[in-house]
Amino acid sequence: MKKIYILPILLMFFFSNCEKVVDVDVPSIPPKLIIDASFEVFFDENPVTANTVVKLRLSADYFDDVIPAALNATVFLTNLSDNSVINFSDTNADGDYEPINSFIPADNVTYELTVIYDNETYKGTATKIKSTPLTSVTQGDETLFSGNETELKISFKDDANEENYYLFDFTNNLFLAIEDRFFNGADYNFSYFYSEDDLKVPTAVKIKMSGITKEYFTYFRVLINQSGQNAGGPFETVPSSLLGNMINTTNEENFPLGYFHISETDTYTIFLEDKN
Amino acid sequence: MNPSKYIAFLFLFVAQIFFSQEKVTINGTVYDNNSNETLIGVSVYFPELKTGTTTNEYGFYSITVPKGNYKIQISYLGFKSIIENLNLTVNVTKNFKLEEETESLDEIIIESDIEKLNIKTPQMSVNKLTSATIKQIPVVLGESDIIKSIILLPGVTSAGEGASGFNVRGGAADQNLILLDEAIVFNSSHVFGFFSVFNPDVIKDVKLYKGGIPARYGGRLSSVLDIYQKEGNSKEFKLTGGIGLVSSRLLAEGPIEKEKSSFLIGGRASYAHLFLPLFDNDNTAYFYDLNSKVNYRFNEKNNLFLSTYFGKDVFGISDNFVNKYGNNVLNLRWNHLFSDKLFSNLSLIYSDYFYGLTLDFVGFEWDSGITNFNLKYDFKHYLNNTFTLNYGINNIYIKFNPGEIIPNRPDSGIQPEKLIDKYANEFAAYIDAEHRISDKLTLQYGLRFSNFTRLGQDELNVYANNEAVIYNQQFKKYESATPTGTESFSRSDVLASFNNFEPRFSLSYLLSDESSVKLSYNRMAQYLHLLSNTASPTPLDVWAPSGRFIKPQQLDQFAAGYFKSIKGGDYSLETEVFYKDIQNRIDYINGANLIANNEIETVILNGQARAYGLEVLLKKNEGNFKGWLAYTLSRSEQQTPGRNANEPGINQGKWYSTPFNKTHDLSLNASYELSKKWTFNANFLFQTGQPTNYPVGQYEVQGLNVPIFDDDRRNADRLPAYHRFDISATLTPEKNKNRKWQAEWVFGIYNLYGRQNAASINFRQNRETLRNEAIQTSIFGIVPSVTYNFKF
Repeated sequence: MKKIYILPILLMFFFSNCEKVVDVDVPSIPPKLIIDASFEVFFDENPVTANTVVKLRLSADYFDDVIPAALNATVFLTNLSDNSVINFSDTNADGDYEPINSFIPADNVTYELTVIYDNETYKGTATKIKSTPLTSVTQGDETLFSGNETELKISFKDDANEENYYLFDFTNNLFLAIEDRFFNGADYNFSYFYSEDDLKVPTAVKIKMSGITKEYFTYFRVLINQSGQNAGGPFETVPSSLLGNMINTTNEENFPLGYFHISETDTYTIFLEDKN
Repeated sequence: MNPSKYIAFLFLFVAQIFFSQEKVTINGTVYDNNSNETLIGVSVYFPELKTGTTTNEYGFYSITVPKGNYKIQISYLGFKSIIENLNLTVNVTKNFKLEEETESLDEIIIESDIEKLNIKTPQMSVNKLTSATIKQIPVVLGESDIIKSIILLPGVTSAGEGASGFNVRGGAADQNLILLDEAIVFNSSHVFGFFSVFNPDVIKDVKLYKGGIPARYGGRLSSVLDIYQKEGNSKEFKLTGGIGLVSSRLLAEGPIEKEKSSFLIGGRASYAHLFLPLFDNDNTAYFYDLNSKVNYRFNEKNNLFLSTYFGKDVFGISDNFVNKYGNNVLNLRWNHLFSDKLFSNLSLIYSDYFYGLTLDFVGFEWDSGITNFNLKYDFKHYLNNTFTLNYGINNIYIKFNPGEIIPNRPDSGIQPEKLIDKYANEFAAYIDAEHRISDKLTLQYGLRFSNFTRLGQDELNVYANNEAVIYNQQFKKYESATPTGTESFSRSDVLASFNNFEPRFSLSYLLSDESSVKLSYNRMAQYLHLLSNTASPTPLDVWAPSGRFIKPQQLDQFAAGYFKSIKGGDYSLETEVFYKDIQNRIDYINGANLIANNEIETVILNGQARAYGLEVLLKKNEGNFKGWLAYTLSRSEQQTPGRNANEPGINQGKWYSTPFNKTHDLSLNASYELSKKWTFNANFLFQTGQPTNYPVGQYEVQGLNVPIFDDDRRNADRLPAYHRFDISATLTPEKNKNRKWQAEWVFGIYNLYGRQNAASINFRQNRETLRNEAIQTSIFGIVPSVTYNFKF
């Protein structure tokens, strides 16, 4: 199935004891605009709410401590079905742009995100992607390698009528992107293991499951891989640039990074005990 | 040149040479007198005629000389030579049995003759290793290893400790043809590359061809690693074995019918996992391999060999994760002498490689593999003492299983899926001449014709405009096309067919009795591609055949060398330069997922590669102190341009380093025989660090910190240089003398000064400090070892 499952396991076994932090001189490029606009519609809540923040940042050198915010940008969303405009503002001057009047992205509507920053205009479009509620989230008793992992058992019912892609956020920057290719239409269940380094139990964690596009799935799979959060070592895929779905309409060559995406998201908060 | 003309020309040549003065042919087989094992590469030399030959892979020789009274000298490294007077008036068959040498004074003379022959033969770019050399080289955990040994030779590097495969002259790991008793071996490593799959006790002879590859080999571009196993002692029953820290070996061999037929069965298994339960650990990791052989010598003209190899790796973490892979080889060979000048070998070979994975916590099992059936018929025709012809045919039928997913428990929710099997047939015919033009000039020239036919399969994907990869102008990236449909074919349908003529040419010119220059050119075609986009190959990697979307790889290699034997063969110097040009080397679009991908053509871009370099090998062959110094200066690059002006390709279409581009590669191997009791051995290796990619910046998406990699500087950075020093000492107890039980202890220290060599450097955010870090992974620190070897 996905490399993401296999490689970390091989790696942990062999290499976990022979890693060390080293000093490396890394190359540098002029800062790029980062547009991180992953909207989430919490469809299983009553009433339905949404997270519609557009985070604008500037890329930094790899070992810089701070990723600077991109301030004074003009940000707005156009509903392409009726050409209505939703304006965003950065009230806290921290680069997090929020709609002036809160809104819930509608079904089957394409939204165009426009960002004007430093006299250059960036655009991208997205349509809300359907998801499915989590059927159950429970803590299991199994462990994986070290014997100290915490098992999380997840189940949900996949929609048989279409190709689905899901993104799981297990908190602490632990993400998992999966596709329904091997379980289309099934009551699917799988286990996720938190290593003791990833999560200290007992604690409460909030699990998020989002429906995503195929393109965002491909993008995020590589993103997780390149973030190094659950892999590493010589079996790592050769890294490459990761372009999202926003384009610079003023100056094509100065492409931005990041992604504009709208998903349906279900959340579940579970208290994990220390079973070891 | 038109190939049919070329062949006609060859035969014309042959016919001319036939009708000269009255001649006689002497042929036979050379054996080791102790075991009756045939010996490969033994020099059969007529000093008065200054002519000679060497025994082939089955110990056979044939030489034609004018009638007369001559001295014949049979010599082989490590054996006492035989000098006999022969009165040759009629054709004779004469077998020789060589006695293993203890200490003899005439040894120097003999070996200098061997060196002279090596200087004369046009074959260049070839390195030989014997089982004895391999066993002496210090290795990690005391496990002697062919692959780790050949890395000490010039032009050979590895992707590092814990990486499968090896790289020859800047070629990829999938470009090595590895033959075990003529059978193709697809995966050469155990435990992800820590150990090789070849049991050193069973090995008789190892040859590595890096260039000037003779026409009888084909199907891979960069090298041929030709390994022959022992046939088994047909005189007496023998047990050989060794006990090491990681694994133990046992080899039993003996006659079935004395001097006619013998068997050999050898096994090797690791056992570290047996101790794991003691530590309350239910993980498991082990490997084993089993070699068995039977041969029967019907008469002087007919010989039958049956051999098998089974090797497997199992690596599991409780029941949650089980990873299994291995090779199987079954091989039946028949040697037949049609006449005293015409030797033939017919081989029927089955070999496969499988990879299996069970992930219980996700609820599935994954199986993939490659299977092939190979029929080979090779002839060696010793026409006269200046002309030998090799010709033959080779047909391989290959079935590829790119993968199958099977739910492993009833409640898994995973649905079975079978990736579409692929089928192909590879046929080749070759003719190759070894031709001595004069005392100084010897040529080897030949031609191989190869045809690859991709056979019909179920559900072949069809794409709009026949484009499986599309370039998205808007987002400036390559994307996989979605198939517009599928076509199904019957097995006998031809989906694609490729023909290649592969000329081979080598020349040696003797400058003096002690030095020669050699030139060679070879063209090779490779129809199989190992799909891998990780920094180092892994056992998961799947082989894919050429077809409608993936073109066959093709290589042209030129090499030139200067060879010198110094002080009558005490020292030898081999220097070579090479240039390689490779067409249709594949690379992958950004973010390509190669695992369980049924549409692999949608992530592949075709490109080219080149490599060039200089190799120097200085050897000391004689005395208590022996060894070699190998140095290679080289460059290996590839280029994947856009398919049209609107596309950038990879790295903006510019040349970039291959992952195995190592500028400097130095290895030093030395052995010193202090006394009958103690022998010391040492290695030093230095390699330029492996090309890698460092991030040019960072950003965050959904709170996840991600490094930015720049496509315009692919493989532009390098890991720190790799170097280490190893030593070993072999103790042969004195009480061995006149005793049946022979034993030795090998003590070793790998990486003596504890260099933390980087296998990789990865970039990630520290969970605690939230600061970005560069993490270096290294595999081995100092590793001491002890091995006990025995024989009785």
